[in-house]
Amino acid sequence: MDILNLLLQGISVSIIPVNLLSCTIGVLIGTLVGVLPGIDTVSAIALLLPFSYGMDSTAALIMFAGIYYGSKYGGSTTSILINVPGEAASVVTCLDGYPMGQKGRAGAALAISAIGSFIAGTIGLIGLTLLAPPLAQAALVFGPPEYFSLALVGLILLSRLTGTSALKSALMAVIGIMLSTIGLDSLSGISRFTFGIDELDRGFDLSILAMGLFGIGEILTAMTHAEAKPDIPSVKFRDLYPTKKEWQRSITPMFRGGIVGFLVGLLPGPAATISSFISYGLEKRCSKHPEEFGHGAIEGVAGPESANNSAISATMIPLLSLGLPFCGATAILLSGFMIHGITPGPSLITERPELFWGLIASMYIGNVLLLIINLPLIGVFVQLLKTPLNILMPLVAVVTLTGAYSINNSMFDLIWVIFFGILGFLLQRVGFEPSPLIIGLVLGPELERGLTQGLIICNGSIWALITRPITATILSIGAVAILYNFVTWFTKYDNTRKELDI
Amino acid sequence: MEKEAIPAATKYPEKPITLIVPFGVGGGIDLVARTVEKSASTHLGQPLVVINKPGGTGTIGWNEVASASPDGYTLAMTGIEIILQPLYGPTKFHYPSALEPIAQITELSLIMAVQADQPWNTLEDLIAYAKEHPGEIKFGHPGIGGINHVLGETFAKTANIQLEQVPFQSGAEAMSNLLGGHIQVVFLNPAAVKEQLKAGKVKALALGGEKRLTDPIFATIPTFKEQGLDVVCNSWNGIAAPKGLPEDVKKKLSEGIKKVIDDPEFQRNMENLGLQVTYLGPDDSAKKWLIDSQQLTKTVQETGIAENIKTQKK
Repeated sequence: MDILNLLLQGISVSIIPVNLLSCTIGVLIGTLVGVLPGIDTVSAIALLLPFSYGMDSTAALIMFAGIYYGSKYGGSTTSILINVPGEAASVVTCLDGYPMGQKGRAGAALAISAIGSFIAGTIGLIGLTLLAPPLAQAALVFGPPEYFSLALVGLILLSRLTGTSALKSALMAVIGIMLSTIGLDSLSGISRFTFGIDELDRGFDLSILAMGLFGIGEILTAMTHAEAKPDIPSVKFRDLYPTKKEWQRSITPMFRGGIVGFLVGLLPGPAATISSFISYGLEKRCSKHPEEFGHGAIEGVAGPESANNSAISATMIPLLSLGLPFCGATAILLSGFMIHGITPGPSLITERPELFWGLIASMYIGNVLLLIINLPLIGVFVQLLKTPLNILMPLVAVVTLTGAYSINNSMFDLIWVIFFGILGFLLQRVGFEPSPLIIGLVLGPELERGLTQGLIICNGSIWALITRPITATILSIGAVAILYNFVTWFTKYDNTRKELDI
Repeated sequence: MEKEAIPAATKYPEKPITLIVPFGVGGGIDLVARTVEKSASTHLGQPLVVINKPGGTGTIGWNEVASASPDGYTLAMTGIEIILQPLYGPTKFHYPSALEPIAQITELSLIMAVQADQPWNTLEDLIAYAKEHPGEIKFGHPGIGGINHVLGETFAKTANIQLEQVPFQSGAEAMSNLLGGHIQVVFLNPAAVKEQLKAGKVKALALGGEKRLTDPIFATIPTFKEQGLDVVCNSWNGIAAPKGLPEDVKKKLSEGIKKVIDDPEFQRNMENLGLQVTYLGPDDSAKKWLIDSQQLTKTVQETGIAENIKTQKK
């Protein structure tokens, strides 16, 4: 087969010692970026760009890509161990990963997320290998009206992920949308709700909010409970790995997550984060025991952690076959490529096949390396839990704040991380779960932009906008889902009434 | 060896020089900065360190440089936005007078492109179509008030046709919407068009520069002027320092930067990015800032862009 030959050629490029070494360095740095809360992929690659100037271009690209996909492997580690997400894409993993850790199943959760990442990462890569050019073309069919409908349906379906009341969740999502309107409006160039403060023009970065609400917020929560440290059962070596039952429950979510992540990854926006939320919602809906979600359901770790990895592979498709970055992390990868004199685009595959296939082959190898690196580390990470909280948490705080500063090199951002940290702490106290806020913050701007641009494209007619074929399909799916929810809620309500004999 | 050559009074540069890029990592201006960074240390005697301070269409980063001490250790990447931003409303500094140019590195002639399977092969075809179907053609650009938007509006006004503008967040986003057929025209810099042009996905109808470009991929694109329209709109990138550099520092710095720009490796790297090196020294750059200021003040008023933005700001 033609592609197989090309891939074999790619492998021969990627196993040249210097390339293999770059791949290893890349995935190691990536793992570190993922594990350390606050350090995000974009700033890590930006920081390392100058060090790559002397490197061979293929080796440099392999390293940057390694950092990128590697960072999504480690993201779940701190989510599971201390409820602090290492990456925005692992926020949702806290919901069930942390409860699992509390029950002494941290090792299992870490293992499942590493294996899920590997399986889904590989699914994504197979998609990338076989279908890159046609899929990239298909993704272009999605214009602003289509994003608007996706964001709308996503907001409605995803804001009710967690167990708390629908009203509280909706409120959090709305606050997230409101926060997303602060700053320089990317379309009109007008500053909104900034009160003349220049730094607010930048708006609130997703990572800043995630670090504050979940990172610092959790550190504060942990410190107020420091005396009454929950008794984490000491973990025996054999308990580090998943039981047969945990395996059986995880395998389908891994594949489902892999496919969901791949599809979401083809679209613009922070795909890894969005796909992890979608996968979580999907698993909750498909599960036979939805009541376990939020209390340590392993599907809630397996699905999202798989989804964010295959999303990463899929985001490489528009980058490599069109030369168009659809998210922040691929934009910085594109910079890395261009600084080394490589311009991805439709002709990359034909003009530089050794580079294209070498890079893809290195990603297969990198995924295997990541699995090999991550599985033995689980034992080490679980030991971290033995560190007293009054030593561990200040360290986590230092790392988080350093990372927050590095995003925009701004002290102003640090103030906000701390502000949102206190807010997150207070919200948890009064029973608000902040993850719908993140969904509002991510999807709000997509919704607004899609509507504004979409309306211009459709000559100002909302009817023309919602009757475009794809838009109409997505909106109908949303409507059916809402109706379905409403009906189940109503029958439940009816049944309770009958039981109570009112 | 170098120590002997330099008199004791001018030890500059003694430490790494910071180059602030007032936009995010990954943009066109960031790439220019990093290409400079790559070749800088051999010619400047000290490394140049790029730091991104994004936000506020460049104003956050430029504010920082404008208020930094003029010692030659804090520099800014500049673009035509330093001229444009103050035209749309009060900014903290009037950048053209709070900063002084050290060099212009590159000049970008923007390209007007359409999807390859559109029936328009010349500017004339498109203008004729637009006259028959007013408002139907939508053009994309990366940001209201930016030079790409200014070019689009200037073209529409000069050709006396009605085009609707659609703002996007980046050139890449505008390009993917063009390829998907959601908009019909884009005005983008050569680097953003190059790969699609090479692959035959888009057609370039006109170039915003005074002269044609030399790169063979772009050399066939006629300018607006050749096609009878008085439209010239160029963007550029350069390096500036806070106003009031000591004469000797300024001299060493501008000589050092010139050496970087003359370096064949630097030129090759820029060419790879689809960028043409167009060096101007400190004095010529300053003259250009003045001319651009006068020209653009007139343009943004005549096209109604300034008015549009000001009313929205209220």
